[in-house]
Amino acid sequence: MGEHQSKMEIMIQNTFKMDVYAFSFVVLMVFTVIEVAAVFLGEDMSLYTVWAILIGVGIIKAYFIAAWFMHLQTDPRTYFWTSMFPFIFVALMMWGIGLSNPNAVSSLPAWCTPNYDIIGIMP
Amino acid sequence: MSSTASVDNNIWMKAVMYAGVIAVIGLVSYGALAVGAGGYFHHEYEENKEMYEEAKANGEDYSEFKEDKEAAHLQYLNFKVGGTAILYMCIVYAAFLGVGGFINSTQPNEEHHDDHDDHHEHHGSFSPIIFALGVMLFLMGFPEFVDTVTPLINGEGGGASGALLSTIGLVVIVAAVGNWWREDLPFNGEGEQIATSWPFEGQDVRKVGLWVFIMSEIMVFASFFSSYLRMRTEWCTDWAIRAEMGECADVALGTVVTASDLLRYDLGKLMPGAINTFALIISSYTIVLALKTAKSKYTEDNPFKAPKLLPFLKDKKSAVRFYLLATFLLGSMFIVLKLIEWSHLIHEGFTIQSPQGSIFYIATGAHGLHVFVGLLVMLYMIFKADTIEFDEDNGQGIEYFGLYWHFVDLAWVAIFPAFYLY
Repeated sequence: MGEHQSKMEIMIQNTFKMDVYAFSFVVLMVFTVIEVAAVFLGEDMSLYTVWAILIGVGIIKAYFIAAWFMHLQTDPRTYFWTSMFPFIFVALMMWGIGLSNPNAVSSLPAWCTPNYDIIGIMP
Repeated sequence: MSSTASVDNNIWMKAVMYAGVIAVIGLVSYGALAVGAGGYFHHEYEENKEMYEEAKANGEDYSEFKEDKEAAHLQYLNFKVGGTAILYMCIVYAAFLGVGGFINSTQPNEEHHDDHDDHHEHHGSFSPIIFALGVMLFLMGFPEFVDTVTPLINGEGGGASGALLSTIGLVVIVAAVGNWWREDLPFNGEGEQIATSWPFEGQDVRKVGLWVFIMSEIMVFASFFSSYLRMRTEWCTDWAIRAEMGECADVALGTVVTASDLLRYDLGKLMPGAINTFALIISSYTIVLALKTAKSKYTEDNPFKAPKLLPFLKDKKSAVRFYLLATFLLGSMFIVLKLIEWSHLIHEGFTIQSPQGSIFYIATGAHGLHVFVGLLVMLYMIFKADTIEFDEDNGQGIEYFGLYWHFVDLAWVAIFPAFYLY
């Protein structure tokens, strides 16, 4: 927990008359309502609109939790870079596995599928 | 207070007493919910089922009976699964507190390892290897564990022998973590070890360790997401069919049903997941309040003031204990609602045997497991808050636990829209 108030904390305190944690809590609650309501009420929305809402709201919520509740905004920068490090692998997994050719699972080479007879002795 | 080096054995006996109270709460909840209310709705379900079958056999309009039958069955699942889940959770809570308290109370006071100081040398420990062995056993037995637990979640009962290997794994995990904990974490929370090497020099070792742990957890959840994304882009869901995406234009609606297809447009079904989302956010805030209160210095000039909404909080001790207890109850509610929601999905035929079910239950189950592990740690912290108290010197324990709890919340921020709404 940071010992000194950052500029943003002071700004939030002065503008909204609440500390940054209470403000983050309100933001998280409001955006969760928006998230649920948008999908529940917008049954006819296109897939891309839904993606945009869910990803946008997710980023905002993730920022407030990580920056303020987890103190990444006020803790030494080493912690921020520590938390960012695994995202190299996250990006690789999302791009290299998650968004690669969707048919790749069914078109795997035989040696990469279960029960492959690697030494040729299976009946 | 936390400044005392040793912890009296009477304090540990208090843990045993609390364990008894928790066990009684579990039994009463099971009796009232699963046996009482569950039994009532099961009886109602049987009656409606009889009328439905009679009307169907006579060629009469049976739609109303069918709806009543379904509604009664869902109510039965709510109470049966809810009551059973509370009982099992209370048994684990009671065992955790009771066994831990009893073992500690039987040790001489000077052997509680509460005399750590900043100059304590690092030491080797077999606990991480034993922990890894436990994880291996748990995962080896996991398929049978799932087959055994599924009927239990579905309210059908059945034996538990298939869960033996995984249960042994869990016991080994608990023993390893318990030993690791005993070796390194003083009960009074003092004697923080400080990192001496780049890039963390000057930082608390526990905090650094927790961040490294969170790094590995990010990758675990990323693997769930990448596999879900891979499968999801291949599935012709109703949404993909309507959007005429790729090869899905000619596929019939309803060919691939995901959990979100069953949940997102029915408020009753979406409700447990939505309530859980709010519960986790509120619990994240209550843990922040617990930390803030514990770290605050109250003096005669700056006395403790209870928040307007919580006038019953008398002092720092009662406030920290209340905030931790609120977090604990919200987390416990999360698990109960998740299991109720699972029982509804399984009742609708959405089981772990399908690819959609497999990734849904594994991802949300892994998250639920993280919540449950957090609840056990929180139980220990509530006990500490109630006995030796948290203050500005040992309040960092709440901060480190909070980091884990916020990460669990963060993971849910991604899981909820991906698996429930999209």
